[in-house]
Amino acid sequence: MDTTASSGSVVRSGRSWFQRTFVTPRAARITAPVLFLVAWQLRLMDRFLGLLFPGRTESALLPTPAEVVEAMWEQLLDGRLLEAFSVSLLRLALGFALALLVGSIVGLAMGLSSRIEAMLHDFVIVGLTFPYLIWGLLVAMWFGYGTIGPVLVVFIAGLPYVILNMSEGVHDVSKELRDMAAAYEIPRDRVMRHLILPSLSPFFFASLRYGLANGWKGLILAEVFAATSGAGWHITSMRDYGDFAGVVGFAIYFALFSIVVERLVFGRLSRRVFRWRPATGRDVSEPPEVAAP
Amino acid sequence: MATVSVQNLRKVFPGEGRDVVALEDVSFEASGHTFVSIVGPSGCGKSTLLNILAGVETPTEGTADITKDGSRARVGYVFQAPRLLPWRSVMDNMLFVQAEQTDQVRERASRYLAMVGLSEQHKAWPAQLSGGMQQRVGIARAFSIEPDALLMDEPFSHLDAITARGLRRELHSMWMETKKTVLFVTHDVGEAVELSDRIVILEKGGKLRKDLSLDLPFPRDPADDKVALTKAEVLREFEELDLIAT
Repeated sequence: MDTTASSGSVVRSGRSWFQRTFVTPRAARITAPVLFLVAWQLRLMDRFLGLLFPGRTESALLPTPAEVVEAMWEQLLDGRLLEAFSVSLLRLALGFALALLVGSIVGLAMGLSSRIEAMLHDFVIVGLTFPYLIWGLLVAMWFGYGTIGPVLVVFIAGLPYVILNMSEGVHDVSKELRDMAAAYEIPRDRVMRHLILPSLSPFFFASLRYGLANGWKGLILAEVFAATSGAGWHITSMRDYGDFAGVVGFAIYFALFSIVVERLVFGRLSRRVFRWRPATGRDVSEPPEVAAP
Repeated sequence: MATVSVQNLRKVFPGEGRDVVALEDVSFEASGHTFVSIVGPSGCGKSTLLNILAGVETPTEGTADITKDGSRARVGYVFQAPRLLPWRSVMDNMLFVQAEQTDQVRERASRYLAMVGLSEQHKAWPAQLSGGMQQRVGIARAFSIEPDALLMDEPFSHLDAITARGLRRELHSMWMETKKTVLFVTHDVGEAVELSDRIVILEKGGKLRKDLSLDLPFPRDPADDKVALTKAEVLREFEELDLIAT
């Protein structure tokens, strides 16, 4: 009994104060952002730069967290946040719905036909790496300020991700399962509905996640150049007025928004759609591993 | 009564530089309540033969058909891996292969699930079942379409010895009960001797070398002298054919 107690206390005291506060994953998850905020509030970076370059007299690199929170509170109260997000989200939804529709069709066609894939592959890769900045400037020149430009950039930014994921998805449909369906002479529509489409669903989810994320990034940029409303435009005008805290505040709202969408929408949806998945992540269409007889 | 008819079957897979001959001039017939094992070393075209009979692959030359009263027979297929749709429940996997989805069909699917002892798991996802249980679903699925003939491709080779033994017994009693024509591919001579009334031996290069009838009463205990003796005889055939890798 004595040994158990003492060994227990050994384990406890084996973790120092430092380890408990900083090293265990759970503690680190809380400690790191708190330390970051403290450092930020104390303007440690500014002080450090001031030491390096004694002549430096410019204002702070960043507003303090307290200033940012104040700006965020104002944005919330005066309706700027709601206005900016509702306009931008509508554009995002419009552009990405189009990208999803066109991208799914093109992606399926590329997956099913090697000829179409050979034809389009390079375009998709270029689309994937083409800077949104250029699209933003181009749509501003084509359409001026308005809705069409930003929506088009969302479409262009999301499209390659949808195409690439869907065509990969078609390649990924298990040949073993397709042969099984062929051996049992299952009608084509049932194979499509119960075999092909469910196999594609992880890829469809990936399209949603990456396509939406990139559509959003493209949108904000396009709104800087080609819009007079929306989140991107608000950021530009805040910069023009020197509202530094407001810009950072909006950036934080973006971050919060992406976390909320991930947790509330994608997380829940994928848990529901993929509830058949084994907890271990083993591919169940593969033969199970057992000891040799 | 189903008839399996394989005539001068040849299958060549085009390879890079050199074509691979999977089957070379294979002919045999089987019909009625019979259990034919096809044995041979790996790469001798056993699985290809079943795939051609199932219509998944096409012959290069010759014919391979399973017919009943002159028309194409209904065929069940049990694969080496269970090949279940992971996103559908056990019961839905059973229903996926049915020609129609009536109450009667549903009831029939339940009956075959009960035969393999998985009534209670009908709502489970395949991933929630053990490997042996998944393979049992695959077997029940093949029987549940009430096929005229059954193709089985090393269905127990991925299972541990004890599970495989239990499933062999289940399979045997289901075969006795349903009186199907079964074509059973295996590389395990003991398994072939335990289950079949006929053994077809293929050799490397896809040629048929021996067609043996086994006249032993069922059930066959592997420990039984006669069964052990027959197994030794078949293994000797293998040695004579130089099929055993050295």
